[in-house]
Amino acid sequence: MVSNTKKREASAAKVQVVPTTKEEEKMIKVDKWDGSAVKNALDDVAKKVMTQKLSYVEDHSLMDGRLAISLIACCLAMFAVVWDYLHPFPDSKPVLIICVISYFIMMGVLTLYVQFREKGCFMLALERDPTGVDPDNRWRLRSFIKRYDDVYNLTIIFEDGHTHKTREIHLEKSVASWYDDNGVLLTDLFEPEIVKLHNSLAAEKKEK
Amino acid sequence: MNLDFLDDVKRMNKRQLVYQVLNFGMIVLSALMIWKGLMVVTGSESPIVVVLSGSMEPAFHRGDLLFLTNYNQDPIRVGEIVVFKVDGRDIPIVHRVLKLHERDDGSVKFLTKGDNNAVDDRGLYAPGQLWLEKKDVVGRARGFVPYVGIVTILMNDYPKFKYAVLACLGIFVLIHRE
Repeated sequence: MVSNTKKREASAAKVQVVPTTKEEEKMIKVDKWDGSAVKNALDDVAKKVMTQKLSYVEDHSLMDGRLAISLIACCLAMFAVVWDYLHPFPDSKPVLIICVISYFIMMGVLTLYVQFREKGCFMLALERDPTGVDPDNRWRLRSFIKRYDDVYNLTIIFEDGHTHKTREIHLEKSVASWYDDNGVLLTDLFEPEIVKLHNSLAAEKKEK
Repeated sequence: MNLDFLDDVKRMNKRQLVYQVLNFGMIVLSALMIWKGLMVVTGSESPIVVVLSGSMEPAFHRGDLLFLTNYNQDPIRVGEIVVFKVDGRDIPIVHRVLKLHERDDGSVKFLTKGDNNAVDDRGLYAPGQLWLEKKDVVGRARGFVPYVGIVTILMNDYPKFKYAVLACLGIFVLIHRE
């Protein structure tokens, strides 16, 4: 029995190795002077670590909220344009007034949503309980880079599914630690740092 | 051709791609909504026009941007500069009111002439039309910004330039992540 499980683990490990090396061959190269591209590439790799290496499930509700608000705003505006096209100007005045005002209200809602609800959070990952009984633990990732600055700030916030207590851990490092001169992101240097942050946060949990 | 700039796009998941398209849509629609909003506020179907000819020199030159309002409460008077459209023609004309006839109920018939023209505008009106009416008026000129409208004239004279600029802007917005 023992030798069978060992064989299965060995073959499973072999199967896992091949895809990851293929992915790492597709290097991530960005314009090193473009601050938002640099941050986005780092965020993408952090997301990849959470979903693939640690097998968490990504929760899209924040992004979906943003998409929904944008979609409503676009629909309002399109309706106004089409109505004005079908009923030339003076007749379409009331419809135009309503649509224009509500469009700009939606823009305001979107700005508030991004500013206060999202707060730089680019990923929400759910750690599903393997037995399916306990509620999920939530892992929130937040990051920002100040304009023209080179320091990448990453915050991982762990929320326990049971107690709803949160713990966080910060990372503040210059992006030069993971990018080379050509703007290539060296994932071999960055991914272990994410895993280390995750593990130290998870370890705190076990201590308590 | 170096297609590295598309790498960012390749790394986006479905939701981010949808958001990029919506973002592009919102930028275009914001401009449109501001224009429609101006239409409602000024009461004119074309609140900002560009002077296309030199027929109003020295007051307005080709390429000037004009801000119009079209309130019903303001009666048209001789000497005012109005922007009007002739039936059957799309292009608005910016000229000054020369003569005006007004009835008791407030309806008017008026004749216009460009300051820099030798004759009045009867040659420009539709065949058989001798006077303009309120319904032909797009608006009254209330303010202007010089020279800025030359860009619009250029873009209309060289449509390829216009499409190239719009295409570049569109691609940039679609590809660049916030």
